[in-house]
Amino acid sequence: MGNWAIAIPFLPILSAVIIFVFAHSARKVAARISVIITLLTFILALIELTSYALGGFSRVEVIGTLWGSVWLDPLTLIMWSFVSGISLLVHMYSVRYMVEEANYTRFFALLDLMTATILFMVSAADLITLLVAWFLVGVVLYFLLGHDTNRPAAGRYAFWTQITYRAGDVPLWLAAFVLIRSYHSISLPVIFSRLQMYPHLDAFWGLSVPELVGFLLAFAAFARSAQFLLHGWLPYTMDGPTPVSALMHAGIVNAGGFLFNRFFPVFEHASIVLHFVFIVGLITAVVGSAMMLIQNDVKRSLGYSTMGQMGFMVMECGVGAFALAIFHLIAHGFFKASLFLGAGNIIGEAREHDGVPADPVYTSIVERRPAKPSRLPWLAAAALTIIVPVVVLSVSHLFVSSRLLHEQGVIILLFFGWVTGAQALFATHKMTHTNPWRLMGGILGSFVLVVIGYTLISHYFGHFLYPHDEEYQIYGAASINSVYFDVLVIILALLFVGAWALTFFADSSGWWDRADQGRWRGVYLALYALLSRELYVNDLYARMTQILLSGARRLNVMLRWC
Amino acid sequence: MDIIIWIIAGALLPWFPFSWIFNRLLVSAPGAWARALTVIVLPQLGLLLLLKSGAWYLLGQEMPTALRALALFTAILYAYRAAGTRDMQIWARFMATSGLSLTWLLVGVLPQHWEMQLFVLAWSIPAALMLIWAGVLTKKTGGSYLGLSGGFARVLPRLSVLISLTALAATATPIFPNFFALLQAMESLPIIWMPLLLLVLLLWGWTVGRLLQDLLFGIYHGDAVHDLSVAGTWLGGLTLGVFALVGIFWGGIWIIN
Repeated sequence: MGNWAIAIPFLPILSAVIIFVFAHSARKVAARISVIITLLTFILALIELTSYALGGFSRVEVIGTLWGSVWLDPLTLIMWSFVSGISLLVHMYSVRYMVEEANYTRFFALLDLMTATILFMVSAADLITLLVAWFLVGVVLYFLLGHDTNRPAAGRYAFWTQITYRAGDVPLWLAAFVLIRSYHSISLPVIFSRLQMYPHLDAFWGLSVPELVGFLLAFAAFARSAQFLLHGWLPYTMDGPTPVSALMHAGIVNAGGFLFNRFFPVFEHASIVLHFVFIVGLITAVVGSAMMLIQNDVKRSLGYSTMGQMGFMVMECGVGAFALAIFHLIAHGFFKASLFLGAGNIIGEAREHDGVPADPVYTSIVERRPAKPSRLPWLAAAALTIIVPVVVLSVSHLFVSSRLLHEQGVIILLFFGWVTGAQALFATHKMTHTNPWRLMGGILGSFVLVVIGYTLISHYFGHFLYPHDEEYQIYGAASINSVYFDVLVIILALLFVGAWALTFFADSSGWWDRADQGRWRGVYLALYALLSRELYVNDLYARMTQILLSGARRLNVMLRWC
Repeated sequence: MDIIIWIIAGALLPWFPFSWIFNRLLVSAPGAWARALTVIVLPQLGLLLLLKSGAWYLLGQEMPTALRALALFTAILYAYRAAGTRDMQIWARFMATSGLSLTWLLVGVLPQHWEMQLFVLAWSIPAALMLIWAGVLTKKTGGSYLGLSGGFARVLPRLSVLISLTALAATATPIFPNFFALLQAMESLPIIWMPLLLLVLLLWGWTVGRLLQDLLFGIYHGDAVHDLSVAGTWLGGLTLGVFALVGIFWGGIWIIN
């Protein structure tokens, strides 16, 4: 790797400057410059990544002033390639998609600035560079989301994003200063090496420095990655232009997962924080997924899907699977970008002609019509549903590393894999099909392929990101007492199996129809109302804002505006 | 005698309740340019008075808790009050008061007088620019109240860009100098006090968000207006550019300290 690697994050800035100064009225030229420079950035990032994979080494490059520095390690190089790749897709898509919009050139310049800011954020080797880049992401995003200034709603939702991001900046500032005070440096590598030597320095309230910093970093990550109670802004970013939604959901919202990975030496000594992170991620995943199910707007539904995915990503960090979180955010980034960029066309097509063919999968999953009983014997279906995912997941992990199966974090993820796989098989079983064995066989085949591929890729990816087996230390930090853990897993497994059995027999005997007429209807409607009002979280914030503003106005009148 | 010096300094380099006098003086200045000049000169006079009279030696080595609390209270109070106004000129005054009050956290901490002066300028300059843009807006639309007719992004794009950037500069956005000034103020505080300063940062984020929302978004319903001239835009942009460059270099100086 040459020293020119530090030029990579400057390239998009160069593009933005050229557009602002020389090409602000030349629409085609501005778009071409922006796309070409982003392509160049992507190619250079890939070259850097490849040269590292072929025997490179991590190093810090100082940019010229005392606080500007980039850390060229595997995490940075992977994130550079990912971010510039997503940005390139968004740039190319925007060339035609935004062509009829006002301020076309400004849009490209802002996209470039956003790309540069994220590139700096993921590569910052000192706390000041990290704070500057972290802060600026929120600022640039505000202007991108509020691109259409004619619509007050765009401004309102851009503001929601900006203020949530600012709420996330605050704990990061505090974390940075606690680290600076405790370890007397702003350089991240220096801080981390001193932290390994003195991990139990006392901070406040009975917490050690890593625990306090861990909590603060977790709160900063929660705001960026739309965790429960700080999630209200995410579904409403759809009011921005579609390419920005894609960039937002595919790249920017993943900052939480990045932050956990960047500060992994802190979390090695902060078990309590990891448990807390797991719980918050779990709640977010459940709430996000539940809200996604009741949306009737495809983009809003994608927004809540992102919330659920972010919950899952944070949960992965909570169990110590840090590398998996990065793998997850990359995989999620690409599929979510393609879904967003495709959503606009699909909506347009659907408006012109329905064209939805009669299909049992669509009827069962999308329209959620009551399924007819399957012709597959229920006992065989139950055995397949419950046992097969366990076998496939365990064998594939055993294949890559037997040690993995001794880590609680891996067991939890296997458990979720089992639940998801079994749920997919269960849903398949409910479908009517001329040849149920063939359908089940097809699903099982895909499941095996996906699990083996995912396990292999994530294992080697983890090894690339953490070549010295640091992951096992994090898994250790995320573990709890083994007796409690075993009891918890058994209870959860029984709960899930019981719920499937209940659903199956309730479906077969028509319980739902009877319950729908009785007192459960009220409960169902109340739950639906609660979810459709997004648990009243945004209403609560709006009310709080009104009260605060009214207080400020009264104070101003009282002090005669001076 | 020292008490009188402290009170006068408190009115010029504002802290509550003497910040009321500072704001009153700004309001009474005739015209936008005079206000801009006032917001630069008054705090420098206050600082000069404090440093040259030697009144700050009374503090000793440690910053008194009451003084620290008062400075932070003033910063929080005016940041909160800025959220309750939709008038650009009042907003600029309140933000200047909020930022300048933080200077008290650094009295006696910074070794060089010129560093203190630079710290004060970091808050005065964006406030002065904001007061000038408020004057320009008043000239073009009859007032600087943004609550009646927003949507200036379409009708006054150049002026809107300059106002937006200046508002960001006034609220400690990187890479403007007051971002680094805020880092410096943080550095001067014990960790237990830092959340209060971060509350100021959060409030600034809120106020600037509200200001930009009023300024940029919506459909303009007023009379036809002419935007700022190209030369005026370049001049404003250049001033902000130089201001940002100073910020980058100042960030380095802070780390040396």
